[in-house]
Amino acid sequence: MDILTHLKSQAEQFEILDLQNETTTIEYEANQLKTCTVAETKGTAVRVIRKGQLGFSASTDPAALEKLAANALESAAYGDPAPFSFADPRPAPIVHTFDRAVADLPIARLVEIGREILDLILPVEPNARCNVSLERSLVSASIRNQKGLDVAFRTSPLSIGVEIDRIEGDDVLILYDQLGTTLWEDDYLGFVRRLVQKLERARTITSIKPGKMPVLFAPTGTLALALPLSEGLNGKEVYKGTSPMRGKVGEKLFDEKITVVDDGTIDGKFASASYDDEGVPHRRNVLIERGVLKGFIYDLKTAAQSGVESTGNASRGGLFAPPQPSFTNFILQPGETPLQEMLAGIDEGILVEDLLGLGQGNILSGAFSNPLALAFKIEKGEIVGRVKDLSIAGNIYDLLKNVAAVSQEAQWVYSTFYAPYVLIEDMMVAGKNQ
Amino acid sequence: MRDRIQEALKHSRADYTEIRIEEKETTRVVFRGRELETANANIDKGGIVRCLIRNKGWGVATFNNLDDLLTKVDQAYQCALVASVPEPVELAEVEPVQQVVTAQMGRDFRDVSLAEKKAVAERYNQIVLGFSDKIIDSQAAYSDSFSRIILANSEGTYIEQEKPAVVVGAFAIARDGDNVQQAHESFASTQGFEYVLDKDELARKAAQKAVELLSAKPVKAGVYPVVIDQMLAGVFIHEAFGHLSEADFVYENPKAREMMTLGRRFGKGILNVFDDGSIPNLRGTTLYDDEGTPARRNWLIRDGVLVGRLHSRQTAAKMGEPASGNARAINYRFAPIVRMTNTAIDNGTTSFEDMIKDIELGIYACDAYGGQTQLENFSFSSGYAYMIRKGQIAEMVKDVILAGNLFTTLDNIDAIGNDFKWLNTGGGCGKGNQYPLPVGMGAPHIRIQNVVIGGE
Repeated sequence: MDILTHLKSQAEQFEILDLQNETTTIEYEANQLKTCTVAETKGTAVRVIRKGQLGFSASTDPAALEKLAANALESAAYGDPAPFSFADPRPAPIVHTFDRAVADLPIARLVEIGREILDLILPVEPNARCNVSLERSLVSASIRNQKGLDVAFRTSPLSIGVEIDRIEGDDVLILYDQLGTTLWEDDYLGFVRRLVQKLERARTITSIKPGKMPVLFAPTGTLALALPLSEGLNGKEVYKGTSPMRGKVGEKLFDEKITVVDDGTIDGKFASASYDDEGVPHRRNVLIERGVLKGFIYDLKTAAQSGVESTGNASRGGLFAPPQPSFTNFILQPGETPLQEMLAGIDEGILVEDLLGLGQGNILSGAFSNPLALAFKIEKGEIVGRVKDLSIAGNIYDLLKNVAAVSQEAQWVYSTFYAPYVLIEDMMVAGKNQ
Repeated sequence: MRDRIQEALKHSRADYTEIRIEEKETTRVVFRGRELETANANIDKGGIVRCLIRNKGWGVATFNNLDDLLTKVDQAYQCALVASVPEPVELAEVEPVQQVVTAQMGRDFRDVSLAEKKAVAERYNQIVLGFSDKIIDSQAAYSDSFSRIILANSEGTYIEQEKPAVVVGAFAIARDGDNVQQAHESFASTQGFEYVLDKDELARKAAQKAVELLSAKPVKAGVYPVVIDQMLAGVFIHEAFGHLSEADFVYENPKAREMMTLGRRFGKGILNVFDDGSIPNLRGTTLYDDEGTPARRNWLIRDGVLVGRLHSRQTAAKMGEPASGNARAINYRFAPIVRMTNTAIDNGTTSFEDMIKDIELGIYACDAYGGQTQLENFSFSSGYAYMIRKGQIAEMVKDVILAGNLFTTLDNIDAIGNDFKWLNTGGGCGKGNQYPLPVGMGAPHIRIQNVVIGGE
């Protein structure tokens, strides 16, 4: 039976997502190749709107399509009122996210890349224990609905995650970063070199007197600022009334050096694709422009609830979860100032590379409070050594009102974040026993 | 299917090959506050092939398309070829088994409409919300899952098992000014839909505890004799001790290996602890584990002495001990790892009255609200607690956190109750990426001397 025909006769609206995913994973644990896994997922998720109510069901059993349709219809009998309709067929931008060179990477090559990574780290830091995870996938998705939408797209995500633990006596240093791309990246070791540079720099330990000082966030460190922003800019939180930015579109909330963009249309990036998970074309969404709030990210449902259009930000956490609004690639726009100039202007301050416990606590309120996993002291414009046992806390809705400088230089970090260096002139840095 | 599985196994070039196929139907209904948050059913069907090349290692392939098992076996084999174990992998001997285990349910929840399942969750949600005007938020959930699992390996094992589970839970948040308290109760059964129908008391208890906690005073920090109820004792033995008994943890960690030497005294002679996946109808029961090893009773502590641990076939061979039936996976997307089944402190002889009657000042701590363990150090929050004064249960107190060293604490257990109970709660255990795995816990009341209680 064709599930489409069946649903057509039973519900006002329907949407069928077919998802196929082949993933090969190579994992090194403590510098040893531990496992190799090939995982193939294939399934169908259905949403229906029947008598104005939304239903959902998913299945990985191709023989159970009838049951899948029945489950979705039964779910709709108890579903939320659906004040929206599924996506209209619309032309989407051409986004390059499929690369044979990635999709065809042989297992042996992934194993070799893992070796190359260890060969960069271990000669510099023989005591390091590295966990390296290399994962390449081939994802094909198609979305159809009652409006005649029928789109198919495929991506070839490659992600390489590197975690380095260095334990010497009581000193524990844990570093993590991840490369994520959908097109082959010639400089696939660039992020590992940056990790190695951090390890080398961290050898010199120094100290700093806690208190108010200039704090320079490295691209990895800006995540402390970006996570509360990404929550506050989420249309779901805005609709629920929990975002502090609710009702403030058009207002200047931040320093004019702050511009935030969600962009799922950049070729080759990890969260890029022509369409979102409801078949709405991805687009470039400028959310904060020179400090002024321009808008939020929405999927179809939250957009309808809020009386606006979807921004193409529907995302599903796998087959078995219904779509939710979520960022694609999060971009904190680079600024005007060369990094060297920012450093040169700091007499005594810290460079924040990595924080512990990101995302914990009530970050929706803008507040964050994190111990620093890796920070360096800046003295008279020079990075002089690692400082330990410090923590920072603050609220981004205060901190980002006055930004001293944003660097020209920027990096992709943790796969989906693009960020520059951000300098906050006067921020409280706490010591261990304060 | 059986023919195709056996055909695929026959063609494998690996030293050992294992195929597991799982078909699972789940339903979930959740009320939150006055809103119905979720009401849907999903179907998940797929398989996993594991190949072992002794001098190389394991290769794994997981999939939804069951049409071409031969290709999947080859994929897993190719994966195993790239592995590079430092020493050859051996598997402990297990007698090949051919067996079909069917579920015995009263009313099969697969035949129950979503409307009726929704009504169950709605009823418990109403009970929580209607209990008191101090209740400001609630959550009530109904969920069920029915799995049919086929396990076959190249040594001749072929096992089909059906695993049903139905769970209800109620969660209450009460508020009085800035004082916010919460309580949670859940119940799980493997025996059919009717077993979750008469649980009004469970919803009422969650609401009542949350409201009662509003007027409870924080406990005064100090060192006390503490009596813990079956629930807290069960969670304690699972978290603080059980995980250390998992052999994969022991053999990868030199410090743990030293700590967990068999024959080491762990407590007084009255202390007996076991793990047993063979007891019918418990949450963690699995008559054959995900490597086909039959479940059995594994004594971990006998008369106060460490006598055993939990194994997969690989860890058993590595440590020269027998496989114990504890290789488990949450679903077909994962290879099995060493896990608990139903873990318990065995029944003792002391009545609850005798346990508290000589306590001048102590604490009766009930229910577990969460905890952390790090090697031998643990910290647990009890859900609620009472002071014991002059041999009597007295006023309720809150924020009771038990912290300490596992060995000291086990050694300080000086009375074990005669009121053993299996806890039929609905939670699950997490390890690695695999969560939630259904596990059972059981214990009688136990008394522990000199417990450090944090607080004001």
